[in-house]
Amino acid sequence: MGGLQKKKYERGSATNYITRNKARKKLQLSLADFRRLCILKGIYPHEPKHKKKVNKGSTAPRTFYLFKDIRFLLHEPIVRKFREYKVFVRKLRKAYGKAEWTGVERLRDNKPGYKLDHIIKERYPTFIDALRDIDDALSMCFLFSTFARTGKCHVQTITLCRRLTVEWMNYVVTSRSLRKVFLSIKGIYYQAEVLGQLITWLVPYQFAHDHPTDVDYRVMATFTEMYTTLFGFINFRLYQTLNLVYPPKVTQYLDLTFSCAQQKLSALSASLARVVATAEEEENQLDLFPTEGEDQENMQAREKEQKEQEAQKRLFEGLKFFLNREVPRESLAFILRCFGAEVSWDKSLCIGGTYEVTDETITHQIVDRPDMDKQYINRYYIQPQWVFDSVNAQMRLPVEDYFLGTTLPPHLSPFVEEKDGDYVPPEKLKLMALQRGEKPVQEDEEEEDEEEEEEDDDEEEDDDVDDEELTEEKNLKKLEGTRAQGKTLAVKVTPGKVKPWETGSVGNKVRLEQEEKAEEKRLAIMMMKKKEKYLYDKIMFGKKRTTREVSSLRCAPAKPTRPSLRPFACRWR
Amino acid sequence: MAAVKRLKRVAAAQPGFISFKSSAGSDDLNSGQRKRVNKNKKKNWNKHSDIQDVEEFLDDVRLQERATGGLISEKPDDSLFFVDIGEQRKYVQPEVQEGKKGKKSKSRPLRIDLILQHDSLVPPPKDILAHQQPNAKKLRRIAENAAKLAAMGVLPRRQKRLLNRRPAITASKSKTAANNFPDRPYYDLWGGDAKETADPYYLEQTGKKRVKRPEKLNSKPSVLPAVEVIAPGGSYNPDFFSHQALLLEAHEVEVKRERAELRIERQLAVNRDDTATEETVFQELVEGLVEEEEDEDEEEEDVSIRGGLQQEKKTEKERRRERADKIKSQQKQAARVFTDKKQQLFQLRSIQATLKRGEQQTRERVAQRKANQEAEKSMPRRLGRLRFQAQDLEVQLSDEIPGSLRTLKPEGSVLKDRFKSMQKRNMIEPRERAKFKRRHKVKYVEKRAFREIT
Repeated sequence: MGGLQKKKYERGSATNYITRNKARKKLQLSLADFRRLCILKGIYPHEPKHKKKVNKGSTAPRTFYLFKDIRFLLHEPIVRKFREYKVFVRKLRKAYGKAEWTGVERLRDNKPGYKLDHIIKERYPTFIDALRDIDDALSMCFLFSTFARTGKCHVQTITLCRRLTVEWMNYVVTSRSLRKVFLSIKGIYYQAEVLGQLITWLVPYQFAHDHPTDVDYRVMATFTEMYTTLFGFINFRLYQTLNLVYPPKVTQYLDLTFSCAQQKLSALSASLARVVATAEEEENQLDLFPTEGEDQENMQAREKEQKEQEAQKRLFEGLKFFLNREVPRESLAFILRCFGAEVSWDKSLCIGGTYEVTDETITHQIVDRPDMDKQYINRYYIQPQWVFDSVNAQMRLPVEDYFLGTTLPPHLSPFVEEKDGDYVPPEKLKLMALQRGEKPVQEDEEEEDEEEEEEDDDEEEDDDVDDEELTEEKNLKKLEGTRAQGKTLAVKVTPGKVKPWETGSVGNKVRLEQEEKAEEKRLAIMMMKKKEKYLYDKIMFGKKRTTREVSSLRCAPAKPTRPSLRPFACRWR
Repeated sequence: MAAVKRLKRVAAAQPGFISFKSSAGSDDLNSGQRKRVNKNKKKNWNKHSDIQDVEEFLDDVRLQERATGGLISEKPDDSLFFVDIGEQRKYVQPEVQEGKKGKKSKSRPLRIDLILQHDSLVPPPKDILAHQQPNAKKLRRIAENAAKLAAMGVLPRRQKRLLNRRPAITASKSKTAANNFPDRPYYDLWGGDAKETADPYYLEQTGKKRVKRPEKLNSKPSVLPAVEVIAPGGSYNPDFFSHQALLLEAHEVEVKRERAELRIERQLAVNRDDTATEETVFQELVEGLVEEEEDEDEEEEDVSIRGGLQQEKKTEKERRRERADKIKSQQKQAARVFTDKKQQLFQLRSIQATLKRGEQQTRERVAQRKANQEAEKSMPRRLGRLRFQAQDLEVQLSDEIPGSLRTLKPEGSVLKDRFKSMQKRNMIEPRERAKFKRRHKVKYVEKRAFREIT
């Protein structure tokens, strides 16, 4: 029999993979440099299917890379820069050792550097690709910008991250693209819709850092280096799409030094300068095409959606807020400005406050303390949660639940989407009812009505608003008084309320629609095959069971407003 | 000469003139005899008239001018004297030092340059020629001519040549700023693509062409989202039930951990039966003294019988019978199979049922495998020596929940969350911090001075 004997591990998966150490040697880099290169180029380790085959019979756990990836890395021009840097460090150390200070100086002047632009272009060939991957960059930059200037990372990096995040926030404010906010115990989650992409990011609370020891700072710094480059280019492009000047400039202060302008920008209270000074953004309308049947329905739905979005963007328009010093200024200013409100704060708190506390036109003051000494009669004193909840509910919620010193309703996560049949918290049910336009059933109907009216029309004259608010304030005081007296007044003759669907034509329409739908469904069920019917019945049974459980859950406990029991008490390390 | 004489006269006439070298003049005056010479010849004037004092005086004047910028006698008193207050000196010193320090760090001038520097306070004489132009008339004419030509639109040759020249490549070794430079400029990276003008073959051969990135590299190693939003129970002011759900989850994690710890403990525990009792100790001591004979005998017999049987040879008759038996059994078997097959005709239904069941099973398995593979895409892989270990769940107990945003105490670390998220998405392999290992033992020695005290 002719032919050579086949040797083991010379073909197949054994040759498709390469261990980390071998790859490192092939590239002639140190481990730190190799890791940096892999992160920058977006090359990740790979777990082979048959480890023993790849590992040449050994079962020792190793890190493997695909051989082709490493071969691709060989062509990277940055590799040479890394080697140059290695040599530079060696020379510098030598010069230091010999105390050749002029030599040190000369070497420092010629320190080799590298650019990441071409890598970004290579990894994200189009702008949208980059935008899709920005979540990580955002979270990382926001995180780094809150770091203290200790030796954990380079101060310049922190400054750059701060600059980029401020630019981003200004962009979101100008484009009004914020959608959701969630205050968690970890940090604040934001979601924005930028050019059709949903972008989620996490911002840590200020001063919340203890530096964990089991995190590799070098790796994080490398990621940040890549992300800052990416983020900057994205910012540039985004500013371009809005016709804004980049680097951003505040309209009032076009000629300022860098650091000063940066501070003004980070205050988020002023609008940005545009390349072409236009009056206001014209309403962008959907192009209308003659369509038929289903398309038309889709079109209508889309139009409706867009209208809703437009309304949401103007959520706080015309309101004037004042932030007390104990509330998180930056996040609140960011959110309020995103929805068109005017914001100001104490002069000693931060630069950029536009008006004083004493301003009579302030409509809301955001407070987070048990009570205030001096209160103005013509403004609401509300707790910060109102802002976040209103943004998530896409409407201005009634303020009385959030007044100074009241116990707040729970802050629900906007990122949860309940399927029908799941347990929905009662607060959310109430909220959904509010969104549908139903009035919450409460003791005093009149006040609610007034509230609704007040919310509905935005373009009221200032005087009217003041008057109304005055009366409302009184009414509310009265209400509180009655509440304080106890629940004895609950027995009260109230005028009978007419159900909405029996009166208005709108209600009728809704009801008709519903009936039609129900009928359609019933017919469809009748038309089912036996087999499908069986399946359908099974599904419905399961659904019913869950709803039964949920309903039992809902009515069973007399729920305490502030849960104080500790059913699962265990300590965390 | 006349100027010198005049100067001397002027200086001498002034009452307050103080010479730097006062002794030189007096020496000259006191020298003894004068030499007599004819003064009718100009040569003799030069030779024999004593101009030493004049020259010294002039030297002195120049020295004064050079060092102080004018005659000392003419200076006001304030510039010459100052009231010595100790502190004023201190003000001066740091300034000088700062200047030195700043310069030192940037560029210190060479010593040779310092020596060559102009250090006189006398300003250099004005160059009169600088204000006078030679050939002014000619130049004027040329300029007029040029202006006339320019008006006509004719460019001079030199300018034409300049315009025709190709623009030099501007990117001449510009220093690359660090990537984290806070003021770094950005530009439109995805803007108009600069088209490659050069020959692609040339670029490829000279290694200037970028290698195309494989498409496969653009796929992410995990399907998990970059930012995973915390469960609704993690709200700073959570709804009761979602908070309880999160607590339950955390509780389960903790229970699992505890169970694992317990299991290890159980495995490490000493078995009661293994410990020596008095009985077993005695047994061990007596071991080997009492013999058990009966068992051994039986075993020996067994072995002998078996061996004997095997070694006996079969007779021809036996073989024949065996063969016949074998054939018979084979026939029987064949007949059995045949009848079975016949019978299967009546079992068709049940066979079909089993087949169906088998198929169903394989289908289920395929679906299961597919589901597993899908699930694996979002699971952290084993990328190195260590397995991925999820972060502790961030949870606030019921009594830790703050009443308001102001009193909120953030839980966990966002930095760690990010780091773990990257590990979870298979972007980096889990590693542990290298432990510091001391090579040589540290030797503690009490210093003598210290020992004396204690």
